[in-house]
Amino acid sequence: MLVYLTSPWIPAEWIQAHGLEARGAWFAPDFALDRAALSAGICAFSEAVVRLAEGHPEVAVVFSSHCDQLRRGFDSQVSPHPERRFLFNLPSTWQTPAARRLLESELARLGRFLVALGGRPPAPGELDRILVQSGRHRTRMLSEAPHLSARQFAEALARFYWEGEVRPPRRQAESSQEQRGTEPLNWGWGVSARTVPIALVGGPLPRGQWRLLDLLEGAGARVVLNATEVGERGMRLCSPPETLQDRDGGGSPPEPGAFARRGSEEPTRVAETTRRLAQHCLENMIDVFQRPNTRLYAWLGERIEARKVSGIVLWAYTGCDLWRAEVQSLREAFGRPVLLLDADEVATGWARLNSRIEAFLESLRGGW
Amino acid sequence: MLFPKKLTIEEWDARYQELARNGLREAHYGGPLGRHLAIEGNLRLRRLRFDNSTASLRLWNFLLTENERLRQARERGEKIVGAMKDLGTVPVMAYSLPGMRTFYPDGAWWTPCLMECSDGLLNQAEALGIDASFCPVRAMLAAFQNGEHFPRPDLLLCSTGAVCDDFSAIAQRLERLGFPIAWWEMPRRRAAEAGEEGCRLPGGLVAPRIQIDGAQEELARLAVMLGDLAGHRLEAPLLARGIREANRVRRLLAALRQAAYGSPAAPLPALEMLIAEMLALHFCSDRDESIKVLAGLLAEARTRARQGRWIVPPDAVRVYWINPVADLRAMNLIEDWGGRICGSDYMFTHALDLIPEDLPPLEALARTALADPMVGSSQDRAARVVAECRTSKAEAVVLSRIPGASHCAREGLLIRERVRDELGIPSVELEIPPLCDSLLPTLQSRIQALIETARSRRPPGVVPR
Repeated sequence: MLVYLTSPWIPAEWIQAHGLEARGAWFAPDFALDRAALSAGICAFSEAVVRLAEGHPEVAVVFSSHCDQLRRGFDSQVSPHPERRFLFNLPSTWQTPAARRLLESELARLGRFLVALGGRPPAPGELDRILVQSGRHRTRMLSEAPHLSARQFAEALARFYWEGEVRPPRRQAESSQEQRGTEPLNWGWGVSARTVPIALVGGPLPRGQWRLLDLLEGAGARVVLNATEVGERGMRLCSPPETLQDRDGGGSPPEPGAFARRGSEEPTRVAETTRRLAQHCLENMIDVFQRPNTRLYAWLGERIEARKVSGIVLWAYTGCDLWRAEVQSLREAFGRPVLLLDADEVATGWARLNSRIEAFLESLRGGW
Repeated sequence: MLFPKKLTIEEWDARYQELARNGLREAHYGGPLGRHLAIEGNLRLRRLRFDNSTASLRLWNFLLTENERLRQARERGEKIVGAMKDLGTVPVMAYSLPGMRTFYPDGAWWTPCLMECSDGLLNQAEALGIDASFCPVRAMLAAFQNGEHFPRPDLLLCSTGAVCDDFSAIAQRLERLGFPIAWWEMPRRRAAEAGEEGCRLPGGLVAPRIQIDGAQEELARLAVMLGDLAGHRLEAPLLARGIREANRVRRLLAALRQAAYGSPAAPLPALEMLIAEMLALHFCSDRDESIKVLAGLLAEARTRARQGRWIVPPDAVRVYWINPVADLRAMNLIEDWGGRICGSDYMFTHALDLIPEDLPPLEALARTALADPMVGSSQDRAARVVAECRTSKAEAVVLSRIPGASHCAREGLLIRERVRDELGIPSVELEIPPLCDSLLPTLQSRIQALIETARSRRPPGVVPR
């Protein structure tokens, strides 16, 4: 059975370890953001998730509790198969034992849900194997990012979240080097004196919104940091494999089956597995909903400096208070101009967004 | 015999002079209501109509002197805790400790209304990055920054997780502006599943043991912080006593709600009842005094009911009201336009329910915190609304939408659907901004249409009792 996930922070690997197929709902081909919401103030993303779920009663859908709109979206669904719907409690805090236990218990609960759907409890070593492999995939995705156009990176991410494959296209950097005969540089592809390196920050960016990437790079920007929810940030989960190392013993990453060998009894093994996965997720989750959201700023800051970002484009949905409230904080924290783009405007066409992007880049080129 | 009547602030001041001449005895914060207009600039008071009882006078004076009383407490060396978002749980803990007061900075959301925006808080919040797309609670941000309203708390405790995103986002912005916050996790409440132990919560809800344990663990963390601040450990017996005192307030409120909402007509106005219910949250910064204020209101309501003296005519349509209003004037208007409040869910029903006294105190509080309508599903909230509408024989439902609040958009639809399906009574959803004057024609036509629809459904000659 297919299992649609609504947040990259719900580990797809946990689904796979139960023998089911995980899909990032935001990359579903029929994920439609262009229809008018039921009522003013409803986030287009959450509305699209609800409609996707309603359109696929045969699929299991795991909603995330991390925002008001998705929580209420879960409440509002009408499904002939309510047993295929699950609300995953993602903790907002990350520093306390209570947060870890909450996440741990939610993973265990999700596991029971998956088993009830026809999945099986993870076989000994199965989760390790999947995590290690996934970690390698995610690491590879991140290493490819500098060499791809923003759209190519988004397409590669979509393949990863939708098909579970890492199949990056031919590197733009290589092809352009062939043409220009230049040396490859990190994030150097497509950069010229007039190119503006920008960071794209915000909520999810589904397929239907990829035109934003074309507009940005077409207007002379280079997206050197895709920090949308399913961009580079999401790739941190289960990546790199070293983070899965045995914390009690330290040292190298676990061999397949390492978790399984620690306990002789099945319940102990599964509990240990979920404990470690929960700990790992908590340590690597970086998002705006976390309280405090200092880790998001630390993560962004490091990359914004290293990649010489000139400006930040914040992509936010109507009703997404979590991101909208950060505009001023982003400006203050990084000393860069921030352009807030309303994701819902896509429904009425791209013309206005395009002119805002062009004006923003022009002002950045003008030496803001 | 004094007949219930709504007075303007000028009329109240004239009545006050008369009462004073006749030897009116007041609490230390007493005085004419007009001073809150003249000295503190609460301009909205000119537009409100107040109940003419001395019990209501005391209520208003208690409410409108809160910031002043907090400052006096600070001067006396008492510790001040800012509880944020949980609405009713942290104050029970803090008031269990000696020398400590707690208030909700969230309450600043009514300041723009009371001061008719002359405070400039909403504009200042916008300058701080929180614009009108957010709930009016953004006024809190500016109030912290300019320090002109409430004293800066010694400790800020904010619940997070399954809480409203507006508040969480604004509180995060506040922290970035240099006001450190201790965050505590509140999971989204869910039903117990097969194989899980289910525990009863106040309000007839059930949650799995694992969630109660988690909330309790977080509250234990807060108890240590509060104890450190007070210089006095918050031991179980102390907390148990605090719970009993909080329950005194809640019992009084339950009796008052029964007297006001359960009588054949309204003995007290909707506006004063809203303010009275709010006392459950943090006791308006003085638990003992809030008990006296509520006792006075209850005595007045019971006397009026016994004598059949009503503030709203008995044929008024019985309206169940959902969510607090950003403009207090709306509570006057519903009565002016032919309605009376027969029940309410102002988003803190868990602060009205009794805290269990037969459980370990932290567990009892954890169960209460988890009963928060905001952390549960919209269906849970709708179920309570429907049950209370049935009990109170509601003829109509008003769902007051909070401007900009992210949870309202979908929740309103769900609750109204449930009301329609299960009760078949009319409902309307209204958005009430901090100053609703410019919307009066729209509000009037929508509320009157609701009232007329409800009235037309009555059998001829019958008034529900």
